[in-house]
Amino acid sequence: MNSISREILSTSAQLESGLNAIALPGRKKSPTLDLLERSPSAVAGLTLLSGLAACGGGGSGSAAVSSTPTPPPGISPASVADAGRFLAQATLGYTRADLTALQQMKYSDWIDAQFATPRTQSHWDWLIANGYGNANNINNSVGLDNTIWRKLIGSNDPLRQRMVLALSELCVVSVLGINAQWRQFSVANYLDILETNAFGNYRTLLQQISLSPAMGYYLTFRGSVKANPNTGSEPDENYARELMQLFTIGLIKLNTDGSLQSDANGAAVETYTQSDVSGLARVFTGWNLDLSGLVSPYPPDYQQRPMVSVAANYESGSKSFLGATIPAGTSAINSITMALDAIFAHPNLPTFVGKQLIQRLVTSNPSSGYIARVSNVFADNGAGVRGDLRAVIKAILLDFEARDPATATNPAYGKLREPVVRFLNWARAFDAKSPSGVWGVGDLSDTATRLGHSPMRSGSVFNFFRPGYVPPSTALSAQGLTGPEFQITNESSVAGYVNYMQRVIVGAGAGDLAADYSSLLALAASSAKLLAEINEVLAASQLSSSTLSNIQTAMDTIPASTTNGALNRIYAALTLVMASPEYIAQK
Amino acid sequence: MNYFPKIEPDNASRREFLKRTAVLSAAAGATPWAVSLAAMGEAAAATATDYKALVCVFLYGGNDYANTLVPYDQPSYNLQQTFRANLAIDRTALAPLVLNPTTSLPDGRQYALAPGLDPLLPIFNAGKMSILLNVGTLIQPTTKAQYTAGSVPLPPKLFSHNDQQSFWQSSSPEGASSGWGGRLGDLFAAGNGNATFTCISVSGNAVYLSGKTAVQYQVATSGSVPVNGIQSPLFGSLACSNLLQSLMTAPNSNLFANEYARVGSRSIAANAQVSSALSGVTITTAFPTSNSLADQLKMVARLIGARNALGPKRQVFFVSVSGFDTHDGLLAVHPGLMATVGNAMSAFYQATIELGVSNQVTAFTASDFGRTLVSNNDGSDHGWGNMHFVVGDSVKGRSFIGTPPVIANGGPDDVGQGRLLPALSVDQFGATIASWFGVSAGDLSTVLPNIGHYSQTNLGFL
Repeated sequence: MNSISREILSTSAQLESGLNAIALPGRKKSPTLDLLERSPSAVAGLTLLSGLAACGGGGSGSAAVSSTPTPPPGISPASVADAGRFLAQATLGYTRADLTALQQMKYSDWIDAQFATPRTQSHWDWLIANGYGNANNINNSVGLDNTIWRKLIGSNDPLRQRMVLALSELCVVSVLGINAQWRQFSVANYLDILETNAFGNYRTLLQQISLSPAMGYYLTFRGSVKANPNTGSEPDENYARELMQLFTIGLIKLNTDGSLQSDANGAAVETYTQSDVSGLARVFTGWNLDLSGLVSPYPPDYQQRPMVSVAANYESGSKSFLGATIPAGTSAINSITMALDAIFAHPNLPTFVGKQLIQRLVTSNPSSGYIARVSNVFADNGAGVRGDLRAVIKAILLDFEARDPATATNPAYGKLREPVVRFLNWARAFDAKSPSGVWGVGDLSDTATRLGHSPMRSGSVFNFFRPGYVPPSTALSAQGLTGPEFQITNESSVAGYVNYMQRVIVGAGAGDLAADYSSLLALAASSAKLLAEINEVLAASQLSSSTLSNIQTAMDTIPASTTNGALNRIYAALTLVMASPEYIAQK
Repeated sequence: MNYFPKIEPDNASRREFLKRTAVLSAAAGATPWAVSLAAMGEAAAATATDYKALVCVFLYGGNDYANTLVPYDQPSYNLQQTFRANLAIDRTALAPLVLNPTTSLPDGRQYALAPGLDPLLPIFNAGKMSILLNVGTLIQPTTKAQYTAGSVPLPPKLFSHNDQQSFWQSSSPEGASSGWGGRLGDLFAAGNGNATFTCISVSGNAVYLSGKTAVQYQVATSGSVPVNGIQSPLFGSLACSNLLQSLMTAPNSNLFANEYARVGSRSIAANAQVSSALSGVTITTAFPTSNSLADQLKMVARLIGARNALGPKRQVFFVSVSGFDTHDGLLAVHPGLMATVGNAMSAFYQATIELGVSNQVTAFTASDFGRTLVSNNDGSDHGWGNMHFVVGDSVKGRSFIGTPPVIANGGPDDVGQGRLLPALSVDQFGATIASWFGVSAGDLSTVLPNIGHYSQTNLGFL
């Protein structure tokens, strides 16, 4: 048996334990999700097992042309639709070539290849190389959006970039909240840290972000001073609180399957109290910029250096929180390490972080079994390592709930594609480039005229949208389901998005960003072929036949006999597909 | 002050419901539950022949109460400085901003508005603004002893931004499905002509404006956003334009796609009406520029100006401004925030005079929570009770509502570091507003489910 089969089998075994664990107390259950948990999941599990038992002999009924037996779902794509669905989850957009390549591979081999893909030029190095360290930029954020779009659109490591965007929406830093010089460099370094650790360990990520000037500024503990009995001042509590609430353990004790723990009276059990926050805040005192060897006016260099401890401001007394005590006299750096170790060991962390990564990549309301399977891998990668993000990524993307086509037909399955992800889907599908190399796409935050969403520009540390956001007065809320991305969806944003994409598609509104439509132009004479191509490379083949038929009919009103006509037909088709809720909801 | 005797809310609302149901049943025979609710909304709205609007000005991040409403009498000023000397506002800068209420506060206590709130001083002095002292999220009246003993239920997840924002707006932590602005909307939507324009946000999505049935409608500071590809042929094709509209609005079996299309439907349907209604409204009142709150409030004023074209008799608006989470650099940041609020709310008040609706529009501030009195050296941390403003010609102004909290760290009115234990609840605050809006005493618990826990359901400022 090869390692992939073992992996699938162990996933299936976990599935059974996950199913057994469903009936835990305290979880608000949705009837639809119950259905997802009870029936399709069980069916899918059986499909997986029987597929393996048949040793590749099972057919999925799809249009695979290979003469070799069709592999079972979950190991490699059985159809172009399967491949597109996987790439919609695992990347920020993909080309026809990406689709074709994946169809020759096992999913896990594709992921391993991504793990092995070298990183492209770092954000920091690109800013320096392109002159953004010029003194004129000391008090602005010029260059930041440029390097963000450069990577998210153009970097040939799509899984890593997908993870960087996801992590940037979990461990949130926003350039809007960094009142510092060289803030483009501060955030660039933060993004480089996310990228460095996207395929690493979550514990290392926590250490590095906790010492980053960007976080020190954003959550204001840079310069936090130990309590002063004379003035009555106390340490800044900001990072201590948000580190626990948002980046690691959350507010409520969780079971492994994501359900909430409750006490004898049915009340949710909170993970920490104000005194834990105050105790942990003592750890994050004394930290400040490392300016050693630099002279004023300071160059950006310090924004890349881990912060250093200023002994006079550091609280060297004991610090107690979450049941742990760091003894008096512990050094500042050892205190941070011990504090993060304690938080990292909290039983909530694998579930709290794992579920949010599922929500970013695959579905807003993963079943309890899916959450538990990912959480278990987060807690232990099989080799005793906690927080191994490579194992977590595989657990998320190779789970049958992500892979089995049957799950996508459940009405409660899937998620809204984030506005930025839709834009990136288009850009990556058609190989959009900035001919000048400037990548002047800019800030896309304006809701009425752009996307209402722009990376590293969240309005607060609570991200653009909350993982627990329930859109009110909807069928989702009626079933107790979350829809995080609905928090930035409203009457202005739905119109602003379509207007912006209509401009971007023709090469306006995003600097000199321009797509390569040569592959589409070759198909434009046939509206059916053109639309099929767009459906496969942009919409993961998830448009319904009636939608396809309607779009094709409308496209046919634009003659493609001239190049201009062909382009207009392409533009109209892209606009219609991208405006369609069937595309916007990733299933 | 008005005073309502203590009632049993469940019984009272049940009685009210039965009474109405009887009336409705007599009129319409056996009525399905959902229809009854709608009809009840209409019954309540039938009394609303005049126009009234509420404007919630949400200060995201948790406003620092101690540098917003600053103790001014010398003993109080001195006492406050012992807890935040490094956050002090110079007393001479406060002198022109001292508030002189109609009835003086006890014990010689005096407050001054923070510099930047200057434009609100003449409104207060003219009797068109009142200030609530130490109001915040509670489930029931809570004493310090009860807090310490843990003997009464408290709002969950105190001091957490998102949850206390949500609790302020909805009486539930994050994940709440309706807020008290939206529940007000539920009662009046049926009498509003086009119910879409009952609850309007010029900010982002806020649970405050969602009701059991009422849905928030969102506009940009520029107004409603048209879909350009529908307004004119899409790449030259009218068929593509028509399809664009139908794609954006078509029902779908997937819940996410379906809800997205519902938003699209509202967007497209409302745009024609809103853009047409707004085109007939001109406001000459000067609003400050480079002030996002003023931009939002100006749009609220324009929508109020368009009320006859849009149809509603009762409207709830939501606007917001961020940046109040002043853990750091409070002295550098907070004065600018105060100026933003002061300038924007003053201009909005003037605009309601221009529109002739200053008696019919009430604006109020809200925020996640107050902050600590005790400095963290450079700012303040998450707290609880807070000071808030109510502005409009219906306000029984020039007064403080409530009692000045004792300035202390661990005193009788705070739970440590000067985090105020609220003496007035958001429920009482909201119920007072709801009563002015026209909600009957029996319906208050529909809007504010915990109001029955309070003997005083009207704080008397309206």
